[in-house]
Amino acid sequence: MFATERNFALLMVAPGLLVLLLTTTFPLVFLLWNSFHTVNLAMPFLDGFAGLDNYARMMADSRFWHALQLTAIYTFSSVALQLFIGLGLALLVMQISAGQWLFRIVAILPIVLAPVVVGLFWRTIMLAPEFGIIDFIFRILGLGQVNWLGSPTPALISVIIIHTWQWTPFAFLVLLASLAALPPEVFEAAKIDKAGAFQRFRYITLPLIRPAVVIVVIMRSMIALSAFAAIFAATGGGPGTATEILNLYAYKTSFVELNFGYGSALAVSLLVITICVSGLLFRLRTAHRG
Amino acid sequence: MTKADDNTNQRSVPLVTRRTLLKGAVSGAVLATSSGFFAGRAYADGQFMDLDSLRAANIDWRQAEGASITVGVIPAGYFQNLETVLPDFKELTGIDVRFEMTPPGQIRQKAVLDLSSKTGTWATHAADPMYYDLYVTNDWVDPLDGYLGDAKLTDNDWFQYEDILAGWRGATSVGGSPFGIPFDGEATIQVYRKDVFDKLGLKPAETFDEFTSNAAAAHDPDNRLWGTALRGFRGAGQNMYIYPSIFRSFGGEWFDNTGKMVVNGPEAIAALNWYVNLLNNYAPPGVENWNWPDIADAFGQGTVASYIDAHGSAAVITNPEKSKVIGKIGFARWPKGPSGKRVSSIWNWSFPINGALSQKDKVATWLFIQWAASKETQVATTYAFPGAYKRTGANRTSVWEIGEYRATLEAAGDNYIAAATTSFAEDTDVEWRPRLPQWPAVGDTMATAIQAALVGQSTVTDALNEAQKKIEAILKG
Repeated sequence: MFATERNFALLMVAPGLLVLLLTTTFPLVFLLWNSFHTVNLAMPFLDGFAGLDNYARMMADSRFWHALQLTAIYTFSSVALQLFIGLGLALLVMQISAGQWLFRIVAILPIVLAPVVVGLFWRTIMLAPEFGIIDFIFRILGLGQVNWLGSPTPALISVIIIHTWQWTPFAFLVLLASLAALPPEVFEAAKIDKAGAFQRFRYITLPLIRPAVVIVVIMRSMIALSAFAAIFAATGGGPGTATEILNLYAYKTSFVELNFGYGSALAVSLLVITICVSGLLFRLRTAHRG
Repeated sequence: MTKADDNTNQRSVPLVTRRTLLKGAVSGAVLATSSGFFAGRAYADGQFMDLDSLRAANIDWRQAEGASITVGVIPAGYFQNLETVLPDFKELTGIDVRFEMTPPGQIRQKAVLDLSSKTGTWATHAADPMYYDLYVTNDWVDPLDGYLGDAKLTDNDWFQYEDILAGWRGATSVGGSPFGIPFDGEATIQVYRKDVFDKLGLKPAETFDEFTSNAAAAHDPDNRLWGTALRGFRGAGQNMYIYPSIFRSFGGEWFDNTGKMVVNGPEAIAALNWYVNLLNNYAPPGVENWNWPDIADAFGQGTVASYIDAHGSAAVITNPEKSKVIGKIGFARWPKGPSGKRVSSIWNWSFPINGALSQKDKVATWLFIQWAASKETQVATTYAFPGAYKRTGANRTSVWEIGEYRATLEAAGDNYIAAATTSFAEDTDVEWRPRLPQWPAVGDTMATAIQAALVGQSTVTDALNEAQKKIEAILKG
């Protein structure tokens, strides 16, 4: 009886499981498979098993290391900015007794925009030389012209700002919810004990919202590591290779250069890095729980 | 990506039906929007062209009747004109043709995905000439010798393949065999502000040095006039549209004696230096992100004194809705480089035949290609087109000799026809870009290096050395 019921249940789950395998597991395995092969549409006569060649090539590829470095800078600075600005905003909004809902609604707006729209919006309306709003403000304030998307360092700063602009509200909302749920008694007790505002923040608020902070850092890091659309729309990885993070490089290698073998190897490396980073962050989270 | 996708609202132009045409003599509205040539003629058959003239070809146009094919094109005026006259093709052959418009930035990728997966979705598509080596290496498209030589399929006494501009035929052939038939294309020419040049006593540049000195003389950014602009945006069809012409004008060769590709030789360094210095000194801010529409828009707004780009960009700067400089435009040939060479691109959009099609669909596709490239259809979509936008990139020498065609073009500005036709005849260079199946990767690598040098991410020499290293790795596989 139990056995048949179990079999029946399995049968019911099977179609869903199959779809899941076909749409998630299979492409992943295929990606791995490709990364160990030469698959180059420009030179189909070379196609075949390549062993670790693609990975060896990656180690010697300066553009890969450059992309990796940019990915690290991009992820670290945008997550840090999101966390600090988001936490700051949340603490400020907590001081407001009425109308918090308004801030929550406004905060949602950037998040619901498609990243490609965000990228185009910043590229054309905000950062364009001569016509862009930021350029206009800079000129009015007498700060001179900065070629935001046209010079290497400003372009990198710009894409970090764009990502931060879109995703700080996420950190803000999560931290605000977490702050709102803190027990007021603890703070009252601390005040009676004459703890200052900074002390209360450092020794009470921060430890209590730590789980939320860690969640924000983990989720934002995973997304930032694999960011694509906004940068693609705003700079296309340029000028030169100034904003070409690993994900863009993998895309270009596969779909512009048509070298799917090497492109897959680059994508696998990004996958491994993302898994390692989030694994490490999860470990940090659990380590402190005990 | 390199072509003028001007006049994108072409489809709103009301179709001129055969009946209204017959009434043309009394219909002022039709006369107003048509050239006198077109409105004055009543076709025996067909709405846009004389089908009897097509039926004079000694082939059976109806041999693939009932077939239905899809054609991938970009949303540009010249393909919209072709789409408008499609009913005549259906009338002639009984074949249904559907156009699928894909932006120039994506059409290459979509074509490659379609061809490599052998789904046969696009029977033919607007193909980039640089992609033929890739297509042929993978056997994705059919050689067209067989189609051209088959008396059942082609009457060459009527079609006259050799009438198509020689540079373009060369660009769409691999190893001497044609793989695509050019439909529309362009020459790279110099465009300048006649009023500004006259005031300063300048002449259109004959040499690269003169081009630089003209730009310097006209450069007056305080009064919102910049000396010049060239494509700066990174891409195989953007900055790698203009750089190859400069490189070749400096005497550069893509391959050395042993057949090895070299992109960091002394000519390359001189060419890239010239480009970087010119743009950094005399181009508007942001030029590193500009493609041709940005250049043409800026010129149309009167903020750029000269540029070098496709002759088709004239459609933007002579468009009364967009341009403030109509009547003040002059055209000239590409200036001579230090090697004495003038080098125009051989850019054209051509139609290949997808090898994954059924035999019947292949025949239908060939009939479509033959029709689109024929003199009759070229005429019907250029000066005789009953809409405001008339194509300016006709594929045949004989069309460039027709008086009405020349008259339509000469309206663009001073010396337009002469600049374009001389470029076609004398300045086109089949070795304009390196012809390799690995072009997509090589082109993108070069584009990245050129932009990196332009914005100062690396020096000219470093950028080219880096590109050389990467290209060697690409060619090794």
